[in-house]
Amino acid sequence: MSNLSLALTCSLILIPLVLSYKEKLGLEKDMLISSVRAVIQLTIIGFILKFVFNLDNVLFTTIILLLMVYNASTVTAKRGDGIENALWIGFISILSGLIVTLGGLIAFEAITYQPSQVIPVSGMVVGNSMVATSLLFKSLLHNFQTKQEEIEVKLCLGATPKEASRNLLRDSIKTAMLPTFDSMKTLGIVQLPGMMTGLILAGVAPDSAIKYQIMVAFMLAGAVSISSFVASYWAYQRFFNKLSQLKEL
Amino acid sequence: MVSRILWGDIINILECKNMNLVKNNQHILHHISFSVERGDRIGIIGPSGSGKSSLFRLLNLLISPTDGQILYHNKNIQEYAPTELRRSIGYILQKPYLFGTMVEENLLYPYQLLGKKPDYNELGSYLDKVQLPKNIIEKKNTALSGGEQQRVALIRSLLMKPQIILLDEVTAALDETNTLLLEKLIIDEQTLHQATLLFITHNLEQAKRLAQKIMYLEAGHITFLGSVATFFGEKGEQYE
Repeated sequence: MSNLSLALTCSLILIPLVLSYKEKLGLEKDMLISSVRAVIQLTIIGFILKFVFNLDNVLFTTIILLLMVYNASTVTAKRGDGIENALWIGFISILSGLIVTLGGLIAFEAITYQPSQVIPVSGMVVGNSMVATSLLFKSLLHNFQTKQEEIEVKLCLGATPKEASRNLLRDSIKTAMLPTFDSMKTLGIVQLPGMMTGLILAGVAPDSAIKYQIMVAFMLAGAVSISSFVASYWAYQRFFNKLSQLKEL
Repeated sequence: MVSRILWGDIINILECKNMNLVKNNQHILHHISFSVERGDRIGIIGPSGSGKSSLFRLLNLLISPTDGQILYHNKNIQEYAPTELRRSIGYILQKPYLFGTMVEENLLYPYQLLGKKPDYNELGSYLDKVQLPKNIIEKKNTALSGGEQQRVALIRSLLMKPQIILLDEVTAALDETNTLLLEKLIIDEQTLHQATLLFITHNLEQAKRLAQKIMYLEAGHITFLGSVATFFGEKGEQYE
């Protein structure tokens, strides 16, 4: 794609700007800021990735991955505002999902530990785990606020916090995992996902591109499940004190 | 395990020592001190907002006092494993809350907690005592009336065989027939297991029927603690 083509493509932002202005949505400022930020961020990351790919250093690549996980966990921590140590829980949960799935892909020789392969794949894993963990935190907070009575009745009977929270945890884990599994159901029917689209645009034959997409689908399912389970079974304990009493939210 | 504690010569099964509860800058309970002997039946009465339910929440370790302490078998309740303590001091709330979808889930939950196989004979016997049909366990929670829900909630707690039973106005929303049924079950259970009963009620007739002692709470203070005869003989009119 030439730079001129790209510049002309960017002009498509004028459509929502005009619509927002005419319909008095008041979104013009946000749209402009978002557009400028997207261009700047992507340009910077393009140069950084080029540098990292050329460097091809294991330690540096690992640091980049950890930074990605940390940034994702700061986003989930905001959703988990009210859960003690949400940042740390988010970090470890997302990292667990990443380590297991990335480890699997490398062990199965689907990819190698090279920045050009590991960083984009990890980006997908971390992004999806981040969304799942955020949904999980939000759902846990909602459930612990609205189902206090159920928890207390079970505690009164002599249930442990884990036993008293079991139904809520199941519900929250489902909430976190469903978007990933719903999107798997529609792969190829409703959407041609990012990686497959990218490969096809780059000239890879569709029958080869689907192999990568299948890998990505299962990798994301694995990562999201691991992150959701780790986060939920760690986070629920934060709603109780050492006397197994519900903390005030 | 609490349930395995031998009774020995301990007389006071439960003791509160100079307990205070302050929540959101509100002093809910003031210098609460009393002791309960094994097998006691104590009716707790007092105006709404006087701290009765908070007292039960403290005894069940759902909350902790701001200061002071609660002793169970002469040991601070905070030193027990919370689950074991709550299995020994059963607390049945005023509003029956049935969790999940089916009645079965609720009535089998105690067996699940105790790691035992469900004993359908025992369950059937409890259902008979409160005149509930055996097939009620196949029903949805939402298909039950308030009275039926309360009876199920009570059976659910009694299946844990608590040594101390805390009842928070469990018959408040029931008609007289259901109230008497529940009272009979409670007294039978208490006698059978030599349990101790503390119950909150606004029904003075019920207090006369069930209690041996009365505790009167007013604005977070115990203003009377003594025999039923003394309460109704000397103070009854004043409090009524």
